[in-house]
Amino acid sequence: MQHKFTARTRMFNLINDDASLLSSVSRFGISLGLGEKTVEEACKAKNIDCTTFLAVMNFLAEENVQPSDLVENISLETVIGYLKNAHAYFLNYKLPIIREKLNDAVLENERLYSYKVVLLKFFDEYVIEVAKHIEYEEKLVFPYVMNLLSGKENLTYSIADFEDHHTDVDSKIAELKNILIKYHPTNEVNFKLNDVLLELLWCEKDLASHNMVEDFFFVPVVELIENRLLKTKKA
Amino acid sequence: MTDVIIKIAIVDPSSIIRSGLSVLLKRLQGYHVHTFELNSVEFLVNNIRTHKPDLVIINPTYWGLIDIEKLKTENKNSSTHFFALLTGAVDEKVLETYEEKIHLYDDVDSVKAKLDRFFDILDSESEEFQSLTPREKEIIVGVVKGYTNKEIATNLFLSAHTVITHRRNIARKLEIHSTAGLTIYAIVNKLVELNDIKQR
Repeated sequence: MQHKFTARTRMFNLINDDASLLSSVSRFGISLGLGEKTVEEACKAKNIDCTTFLAVMNFLAEENVQPSDLVENISLETVIGYLKNAHAYFLNYKLPIIREKLNDAVLENERLYSYKVVLLKFFDEYVIEVAKHIEYEEKLVFPYVMNLLSGKENLTYSIADFEDHHTDVDSKIAELKNILIKYHPTNEVNFKLNDVLLELLWCEKDLASHNMVEDFFFVPVVELIENRLLKTKKA
Repeated sequence: MTDVIIKIAIVDPSSIIRSGLSVLLKRLQGYHVHTFELNSVEFLVNNIRTHKPDLVIINPTYWGLIDIEKLKTENKNSSTHFFALLTGAVDEKVLETYEEKIHLYDDVDSVKAKLDRFFDILDSESEEFQSLTPREKEIIVGVVKGYTNKEIATNLFLSAHTVITHRRNIARKLEIHSTAGLTIYAIVNKLVELNDIKQR
């Protein structure tokens, strides 16, 4: 099937065409200042598997069209690198910034003091939840998969356990967004708070697409390898 | 008004039809639709397992022999509905296993009417969106103060089952599902003071 982007697409056109892909591009380790580089050249320069890069970009750009024949050729090392970069981005960069903006947006006057305390508490609890989810993947799931790739199997774990564990971390951020829209207790227009809301909207989308990459490019590929190991063992 | 959030898998080999149906579904009033577009039925089993769609709309012209009953029994926990997507003439027998049919020339209203039969969309005019009952407010205070359902039940002379029902209604009315979220609501609406909240 013909896809939107190919190895010969210029990186400039890819980003210009759909700016929401920029965060994904950077998660592959590709930075701005791309000149006239094509996808293939940019990937080569950073030692990234071009097939995997294109599969993810086309999947995100075409919105939820199942990647069909691709699973076979996906590089798990590249996907894991991508997921790790995404984790670092959310935990060390984006979420602290949103907290700071939230703290900044709600003025600390007597009337709103209690509200601000519980609002920030909500946010902090959310971040702890995200951190737990990330720690589980980085300490347990990724090492298991890396072992699998080097031919070592570990019978105590299987990627099916991951699917069970994979609860939606993005539902809580949606709740915070709803609370601000519906229950924020002032009636003055607050540009800073609007900014927070836009950040939350973007973050919610971004986390959803992160989960999609896990569901479509990570879990099925690991399943494939597990099944192969199982078959060779039986043979 | 609360939109019903539903996940729909669309299975058809034509990307024009898939995308078109997907756009139409996203326009339906009262629904917040998330679609998965699958170009072949072979992806369906995996999709049902990982994404648990609420509805599968599938073109039986290409996959008339798909065993829906088998799919359903294999995924006992999911309550997935199956609609047929008709783009041409199909043997009526094939359609018997589908719960509903969507025709290529159906308009938005008739597609909505067909979905409405399977998904409870709540009437925005109805009383229950107006406000919380005094009892529900009491329950929120209990939850926010850190009491268990059982403790709340004892304090208010209710059964634990009734408390759970109230909590479900509160979550639906407010669109808040977590205790931390209810705490914010309770503070904003002065149901509790900061001092009342147990340090957990």
